Amino acid sequence: MKKLSENTTDLLQEIKAEAAELPKNKRRDFMLNGLKLTAGTALATTVGQVAASQSNLPPNVPEWSKTLGRGVVSVPYGQPSSYESDVIRRTVEWLTADKIASISMTPLHEMSGIITPSGLHFERYHGGVPDINPNEHRLMINGMVDRPLLFTMDDLMRFPSESHIHFLECPANGGMEWRGAQMEALQFTHGMLSGSEWTGVKLSTLLQEAGIQPGAKWVLAEGADAAGMSRSIPIDKALDDTLVVFAQNGEMLRPEQGYPVRLFTPGWEGNTSVKWLRRLEVGDMPWEHREETSKYTDLLADGTARRHTFVQEVNSVITSPCPEKPIQGKGLLQLEGIAWSGRGKVKRVDVSLDGGVSWQTAKIKGLVLSKSLTRFSMEINWQGEPLLLQSRAIDETGYVQPTLAQLREARGTNSIYHKNSIHTWQVQTDGAVNNVQLG
Amino acid sequence: MYNSVKKHFKTLVLAVAAQGLLTSTAAFADEPKYGFGRIATQEEIAGWDIDIRPDGQGLPAGSGSVADGEGLYEAQCASCHGLFGEGEGRWPVLAGGQGTLNHERPEKTVGSYWPYASTLWDYTRRAMPFTAPQSLTADETYAITAYVLYLNEIVDEDFVLTKENFSTIKMPNEPNFFEDDRPDVKNTACMKDCKDPASIKVVSTIAGVTPLEHLEEGAAEAASENTHGKAIYDQSCAVCHDHGVAGAPKTGDADVWGDRIATGTEMLVKRAITGYVGDEGVMPPKGGNMSLSDEDVAEAVHYMIEKSQ
Repeated sequence: MKKLSENTTDLLQEIKAEAAELPKNKRRDFMLNGLKLTAGTALATTVGQVAASQSNLPPNVPEWSKTLGRGVVSVPYGQPSSYESDVIRRTVEWLTADKIASISMTPLHEMSGIITPSGLHFERYHGGVPDINPNEHRLMINGMVDRPLLFTMDDLMRFPSESHIHFLECPANGGMEWRGAQMEALQFTHGMLSGSEWTGVKLSTLLQEAGIQPGAKWVLAEGADAAGMSRSIPIDKALDDTLVVFAQNGEMLRPEQGYPVRLFTPGWEGNTSVKWLRRLEVGDMPWEHREETSKYTDLLADGTARRHTFVQEVNSVITSPCPEKPIQGKGLLQLEGIAWSGRGKVKRVDVSLDGGVSWQTAKIKGLVLSKSLTRFSMEINWQGEPLLLQSRAIDETGYVQPTLAQLREARGTNSIYHKNSIHTWQVQTDGAVNNVQLG
Repeated sequence: MYNSVKKHFKTLVLAVAAQGLLTSTAAFADEPKYGFGRIATQEEIAGWDIDIRPDGQGLPAGSGSVADGEGLYEAQCASCHGLFGEGEGRWPVLAGGQGTLNHERPEKTVGSYWPYASTLWDYTRRAMPFTAPQSLTADETYAITAYVLYLNEIVDEDFVLTKENFSTIKMPNEPNFFEDDRPDVKNTACMKDCKDPASIKVVSTIAGVTPLEHLEEGAAEAASENTHGKAIYDQSCAVCHDHGVAGAPKTGDADVWGDRIATGTEMLVKRAITGYVGDEGVMPPKGGNMSLSDEDVAEAVHYMIEKSQ
């Protein structure tokens, strides 16, 4: 972070003072807009004052048109514009005891399309990010196989590979809101979700190479991190579409995403896609490790608990407007959002403006891929009326995204995981957006 | 004799040839398609294969008593999990909570929730203590497992846990887990007049829990000069000192640091390296991470002092 200039600090004070005069819900948006302005000002070459920025507007010729810009490889690995410095992952500190075993969220309100930039992919660590030297990393396959094998990264990359676009979602996404709405930002209500193109070797290829023995039913995937993160995967999934992934969005995995190699189980809860993969063991029963018993099991109201809840069921949310992206003004408005299902393709998305009394079918934008983020939009003419915005996705199995009341009726409020209910944004007459639930 | 030998030789050759053919055919069917990588040795597998299953598969030879576990637990576990497994701060509660799973606020602990004792053994060796995973011996792991089971009243205080008697341990909540049977709810895609508009009640958010500072002040704080100290701190000290767990002075709290800083940096570094028992809590040597050098610890202490003045 650059330190702000004195002028900017003054400006910040002004914005703060002015914001204090506004009602609370407007204050945040005003501050946000003000901050974007100051961020731009602070980093502009010699310009220190807002008034000066007029000189870059027509009919004047902007500063950057009158001087040469940076040359090639001045930034050998490209970075986003400095004006985008508020587009970052964020965490909710009170959620976890520390930052090592914790989670951060993707700024979904700033995303376009169905791919999340790798540096903005949400993070979930159980023992921090290990710093792995790929030359000293090995993947072992042992257990009920004819030949226990040990692969170097070079070995792995000699096998035939595939690339697929899939979402990855933490099953705790939205889990803070079983009892009531409490997150005043899309980033925190839905941001444990990202989409990427993943490249790797099919797990079935590696298992066939080792020779699976009769009676094999499960595969344990284990990470090389300090948590030795481990999950049991049924053999059917292992031999179906599970990948051993080394690349994400065209480059080697980021350390945060499992560099140099991770498992990827499309459509399943994120933690089954074990990162920093060091070992796969074939066996005839599940291991029932900590992250599949104590955690990642779904406690119901009667005290029983559902386990091996792998699939992320269909879900959707409107990403614009949202609390961080209030409506800018009356007139034609592009409602936009994302939908996804761990059971296949999104077939349809409906949108309600009145809290679920009536629904209209939205337009699907761009690619519709299995187990991938899918973008939808709808144009409405907004004239300042209050709205209760909702989206409802239906996947190719015919499963309809449930209401929160239906989920609570079936599960109670202590499940933590797999809350895929219809979400409600309340739009106020001034365009501000609040996170609410309908009782 | 010659003929006999010759005949015998011929038979032998045929037999060998036939066997060779069989072997190579079998080998062909069995052979890996690509042949990349190599066979993992038994020794390599033994070093990495640390998983334990509910049926006890994977348990190494060894044993540990509740009494042995008590001392180990108090030294290595209690600073986060509490002396009686009650949990410090937001660190996991390990004991109690039986009979609360169907309550409004259930307490999920080893005794009230975990279906298998093997999970406790596996996780303790795999990932605990938090700052020094895979550092416990087999006997230590048996002892700590026995003690946590004792805290949950699953074994008696004179119990000794061994590889042999492990499968006799039954966890009370095992029968209450069932396999995924979703979809468990069925919504319909109603398009109009789906509900009475008058029935809609809007419930707003609970105020004050959303971290919105980034929308209010911006992230203008200058980066700390002491990046090495910060890195060590984040990795090994923040666990307790970020939140004041187990009596640890909270980083940034000038009130609790004032007297400590007055004792001198040298003394604070010494205590951090060798460990310290104070009135409010216990500082384990090097925060429990013995892989840190003395210099690393000193850098982290300097960083904490800078942040807490």
